[in-house]
Amino acid sequence: MHITLVKKIKADGSPCRKCAEVVDRLERSQLLGRIDRVVVADERDPDSEGMQLAGRYNVDWAPFFIVEDDSGGERIYTSFFRFLKEVLGQNPRQEEETTEMMRQNPDLDFL
Amino acid sequence: MLGCRQALIISIKDEHREGRAVDIEALANQYSSKTPEDILRLALESFDNVAISFSGAEDVVLVDMASRIQPDVRVFSLDTGRLHPETYRFLDRVRERYPIRFEALSPDAMAVERLVREKGLFSFYQDGHQECCGIRKVGPLRRRLQSLDAWVTGQRKDQSLATRATIAVVERDAAFSTPEHALVKFNPLANWTAAEVWDYIRSNDVPYNELHERGFVSIGCEPCTRAILPYQQEREGRWWWEDAADKECGLHKANVAVRRR
Repeated sequence: MHITLVKKIKADGSPCRKCAEVVDRLERSQLLGRIDRVVVADERDPDSEGMQLAGRYNVDWAPFFIVEDDSGGERIYTSFFRFLKEVLGQNPRQEEETTEMMRQNPDLDFL
Repeated sequence: MLGCRQALIISIKDEHREGRAVDIEALANQYSSKTPEDILRLALESFDNVAISFSGAEDVVLVDMASRIQPDVRVFSLDTGRLHPETYRFLDRVRERYPIRFEALSPDAMAVERLVREKGLFSFYQDGHQECCGIRKVGPLRRRLQSLDAWVTGQRKDQSLATRATIAVVERDAAFSTPEHALVKFNPLANWTAAEVWDYIRSNDVPYNELHERGFVSIGCEPCTRAILPYQQEREGRWWWEDAADKECGLHKANVAVRRR
């Protein structure tokens, strides 16, 4: 299995806060070593590798993960906590998942 | 001879019972110009396992309409523990007025205690509302929706150009469906305006939250809701301290040729 993490640099040059949180969470859980490659999607540069990957996989969210299995199949995860559960076998807290749901589904603001 | 609506309901029930996917897009097209009552009737008659989400605001019209179709309809509200006293009183008035099966859903106590222990009672003013809403609203909602096949919301297109302009009267719930459990969401008021909702409330003598008399339009938790001025956007009364530009996880359009579907 080969795992690529795509993280973002925002249009003003600052790092994406959510991406930093994800990297920090992986580090604290001693899981960062399971990530084979980290690629940057730089919003100032459409040719940056991460932006190209986002375009190729129809992803408009950062961070995201590309998981290639040994048979060459690929899965894309835009949900960090789903990635943690399904790929890294972790058991995240429910509130971590629900926070991510709120962030990824702005239409939930009707609740 | 069956009418069109009855035939459609039987077809939806059959598809659902046999585990086949209901063609939601076709249903949405077919019902896009129907009345809220027609859409509610479809929801309540097609799914045995359906409930209405009631926020304690003007979506009370759904409760009124639904109770005329199915008096013992299931209705739930999210009791975050931070609602206005006026909203709690209103929820209870509605529970007493209609013969509905009403439930107030509470958040996971341990999750709330952990949040407060680590970040205090007002962390949303610094960190944004998502974490608190995730614990107090999304957690209990997700738990409830896992046991339903369909739910009904009071969402309307005119509430927010940013997040609701394209909502359909019926849709597959993208946020809460899982590969194992498809959930259908009905939005009977999607095409109604606020004026139509209030016309219905007045014409039918429907009870309403007294906060509306004090300039509150969108009503949520007490610390995150405020009254607005005439001609302000409805959503300016919620999470007003948050900078839209800091909702930053998207990869912005100018730079990504193809958007995620």
